[in-house]
Amino acid sequence: MIAASGLGARAGAFALCDITFTVPHGAYGVVIGPAGSGKTTLLETIAGLVRPTAGALSLGGRDMAGVPPEQRGIGFVYQRAFLFPHLTVEENVEYGTADAAFARMIAERLGVAALYPRDVRSLSGGERALTAIARAVAARPAILLLDEPYSALDPRRRTLVRREMRAMHREFAYTVLQVTHDFTEAGLLGDVAVLLDAGRVLQWGAPDKVFREPASAYVAEFLGAENVFAGEVRTAERGAIEFRTGALTFHAVGDAPAGVGHAVVRAEEVSISRSAPGSSARNVFPGTITELAALGALTRVVVDIGGTPLVAALTSHSVRELSLAEGQAVWASFKAMAVHLC
Amino acid sequence: MSAPRSAHRAASVVAALLGSLFLLFLLAPLVQLVAAGGASGAVKLFGDGELRASLLLTALTATGATLLGIAGGTPLAYLLERRRFRGRTVLAALLDLPLLVPHPVAGIALLLVLGRQSAVGGTLLAMGLRIVSAPAGIVAAMLFVSAPLYISAAREAFARVDPRYEGVARTLGDAPWRAFRRVTLPLSMRGLIAAAIVMWARAVSEFGAIVVLAYNPKVASVLSYDRFTGYGLSEALPVAAILVLLAFIPLLALRAVRPDGGTVEP
Repeated sequence: MIAASGLGARAGAFALCDITFTVPHGAYGVVIGPAGSGKTTLLETIAGLVRPTAGALSLGGRDMAGVPPEQRGIGFVYQRAFLFPHLTVEENVEYGTADAAFARMIAERLGVAALYPRDVRSLSGGERALTAIARAVAARPAILLLDEPYSALDPRRRTLVRREMRAMHREFAYTVLQVTHDFTEAGLLGDVAVLLDAGRVLQWGAPDKVFREPASAYVAEFLGAENVFAGEVRTAERGAIEFRTGALTFHAVGDAPAGVGHAVVRAEEVSISRSAPGSSARNVFPGTITELAALGALTRVVVDIGGTPLVAALTSHSVRELSLAEGQAVWASFKAMAVHLC
Repeated sequence: MSAPRSAHRAASVVAALLGSLFLLFLLAPLVQLVAAGGASGAVKLFGDGELRASLLLTALTATGATLLGIAGGTPLAYLLERRRFRGRTVLAALLDLPLLVPHPVAGIALLLVLGRQSAVGGTLLAMGLRIVSAPAGIVAAMLFVSAPLYISAAREAFARVDPRYEGVARTLGDAPWRAFRRVTLPLSMRGLIAAAIVMWARAVSEFGAIVVLAYNPKVASVLSYDRFTGYGLSEALPVAAILVLLAFIPLLALRAVRPDGGTVEP
């Protein structure tokens, strides 16, 4: 388990402030944030390589105040690998363990055993990353800290390695905290997502909850939510809420307090039809398509609703089936449950 | 030809001319010295027992000073490079001070601390270790003037090794000393050897501080000065030429171990 409470740290001019989150024992935590948000410094602080200036950190239920890195039971994989250049791949993988057979088994599972005699300076970026992962896992850590470990891997290898890492995570039951700026990766891997920006935690929790219920408009936009509306919350009746933004009124449910706020509707929650839908959706608006952008299997559709743009994410197959085109009059709809107020 | 291009060419010619003159200024005396005294020096090396003893003494005392410099300077260089503590900048500046003090002045300062009348010198003498006019004094003088060079070069050697290598080793179970020994030391070894060679070469060439603290027994630099003042240029020339030729040894060694581009990951 990783439990940070009000953790602060300083690395040069950069500071982490009031970092609080918990990754349960054996869970897979993901730290998401833009470049320069303090993700690496956070991992280094957990590893004991950067001294905290405030707060408390416990690993596996043990307070880490004054505990040196070598006694924390952690494995650390930097994005740039930091393989020891004076050692071979084999010597790197076996660096932190006396169990050469276990190290070899891990190396084989990650596909680096064949590289054992190689000088690490001759490895490709992907091979370096895999060797660094093997080196960390071979030392049997209780907690594995991964700093964007897959960024040097090609997409096919990345999928395979993610799968193998997931399997090893289940098998060896270590707790993982992985840094990424890839929201898809966070959703795919994480049991806990920690959103970091400018050295502070914006929100943390189960990835699905964080993505669907962002704590603020900033978090929603940070997570790539395209429909974030500023407006006013008005309670209509018990549990039912009206949210007014410009000339539009959205229906929502929940217990948001009345007053100024934001409504977030994820693009994949918005449906498009050519005629007024006869569904249970409470939010139904006529509009005109102003933009169609195909993104592989998905197409981003922007519908102008009385001057307010609403983005829908449809499968490209649906777009073809409905023969959607720019300038076309359509109906956009989404359920009251799809409106998240913050 | 455009005006800027011709101006650029003229500037290049002037720079090359100035560079050549400077190179001539640096090399001509040494070339002349070797040409005039090299052959007789080589002959003297076989026949002149005092010269051979002096060269041996110089090599041994310089080696002793360098070993002491490595033992004391390496941890100091590591601390100055890797740790942030109050007074670090001041300490680093103080360590460079012996380089800026005129070397006879350094010798006088050492005499004050290590001379027979001083507490340290008196105690050492009572323990049987004579400093003034003894090899130990030569080692002390060499150490004082050349250790700052070692510390400075060793700091550069450590700076070329990204501290995250050591951080990774710590996460893999190494205590600080073990991580230093297994990772930082091998990665900075070439730089440290180069630093030691620079220190050794500087120690061999020291004269000012040694002549104050231990005129006798005579190291090579003191011997060449002694021959010059006692017997004239013709006697000093072979000794001086031999010293110039021997200076090539550390120079070549330095080129052989010159550190590569460092170990910071791409």
